[in-house]
Amino acid sequence: MRAPPGRSGALLPSAVAGPGRFVVDLDRFQGPMDLLLHLIREQDIDIFDIPIARITDQFLAAIQEIHPEELDSAGEFLEMAATLVRIKAQMLLPRPPDEEEEDPRAELVRRLLEYEQIREISQRLEAAESQRARRFPKGYVPPRPKPPLEESPLETTWEEVYEAALGVEVPDPKAREHQVTRRGVAMEEKVELILKMLPERGRVEFSELLRPWKEKLHGVMTFLAGLELARRRTLRLRQVQPFSELWLYWRGEGGAGSTGDEAQDRAAMPEEEGDR
Amino acid sequence: MRPEQIVEAVLFSSDAPLRAEEIARADESLDEDVVERAIQRLQGEYQEDERAFEVAEVAEGFQLLTRPEFASYLERFDTVPRPSRLSGPALETLAIIAYRQPIGRMEVEYIRGVSSSGVIRTLQDRGLVEVVGRAEGLGRPLLYGTTPRFLEHFGFQSLADLPRTEELSVVLRDRAPLTADQEAPVDPDQEELNLEGSEESDPQ
Repeated sequence: MRAPPGRSGALLPSAVAGPGRFVVDLDRFQGPMDLLLHLIREQDIDIFDIPIARITDQFLAAIQEIHPEELDSAGEFLEMAATLVRIKAQMLLPRPPDEEEEDPRAELVRRLLEYEQIREISQRLEAAESQRARRFPKGYVPPRPKPPLEESPLETTWEEVYEAALGVEVPDPKAREHQVTRRGVAMEEKVELILKMLPERGRVEFSELLRPWKEKLHGVMTFLAGLELARRRTLRLRQVQPFSELWLYWRGEGGAGSTGDEAQDRAAMPEEEGDR
Repeated sequence: MRPEQIVEAVLFSSDAPLRAEEIARADESLDEDVVERAIQRLQGEYQEDERAFEVAEVAEGFQLLTRPEFASYLERFDTVPRPSRLSGPALETLAIIAYRQPIGRMEVEYIRGVSSSGVIRTLQDRGLVEVVGRAEGLGRPLLYGTTPRFLEHFGFQSLADLPRTEELSVVLRDRAPLTADQEAPVDPDQEELNLEGSEESDPQ
């Protein structure tokens, strides 16, 4: 299949787009269908016999105004341009009269008519909307009293502004840097602490172990130590329900038989910082 | 209590349309028929008394609304809820969904020629359209339809209140066949434009 003569030239939007060059403000249009319909209706063109070459040129000329930053909508216009050019090319191809083939414009015409109908419907909807807006339901919504800005006098003095400015702490840029520090609390310390208290007391509250410290890290490390000792079967962790107090029970050195207390550990998880 | 009084009390206390069967829940003595007859009598009474409000039939239900001729008085008050108006693209998209429901986003975009997912989402957020199902076929795309809130917004009693396509100035059946061999013009009795099969020839 060979492109018919004249095809390549017609692809380019001519600077002077033939007779009746149209200047259109693209912002006015909701999309390529809107623009195309406008071109056709403005010029009183028979929609069933669209002079496709002329319309294509006008369409291409119009969309040249699209700014590159509006690429999103440009794509839609370009797609239509491609459709138009394709139809134009098909029109130029000789069609055997006996062949059962649709006019290349048929689908476009269907779309245009459909779009035009939808547009008319949306105008009707708009009319219905404004009719409806004239009828009010019950259901007053008392507005929040909001004093208009211009009515409240500006009472701030310069001194107050100055003071506020002095109070602003300039954030230290270094403070925002993420720093990796060594673990300041060793788990072994906590293990020792537990082992010191537990054998004589029999049981101890988790929160009691944390009492002397504020840092979260102590809580974390104590919890880890508790888990470790539970693993070693030195103690048992008990918690009645999630977020309630966690208790450590002494089981004695070596631990007397497994009682499946590992499950308790899992229940204890949320306790980690519960009391902090 | 007379049924009219009960119905009136229920309507008065509601700020959204109520269907007859919902109103009937107010009392054992009521059923749908009784409610509807009571509403007719109320409508008659209000009209006779030249009341500023009426029982409007909206969204397959009933609602007390002021009559349109009082709008100019009410609009002076900030306290009166003012319904917001829809934008052009929103109306266009809504029109397509209303007439073609259930319809997928791709078809809406094909008709409008522009991307419509944002508009559809806005309409969904405002409760005017909703997902009503999924289409067969690749990806099983979502299908959209209108909601009772849509009827309410436009003051329609039901979807049958939408402008009928044969009333519109642009009707597809008016077109002359483009060529003799083209598919038959759309049947005049067929309300919807024929979109079927159009996707195949879509250049994209």
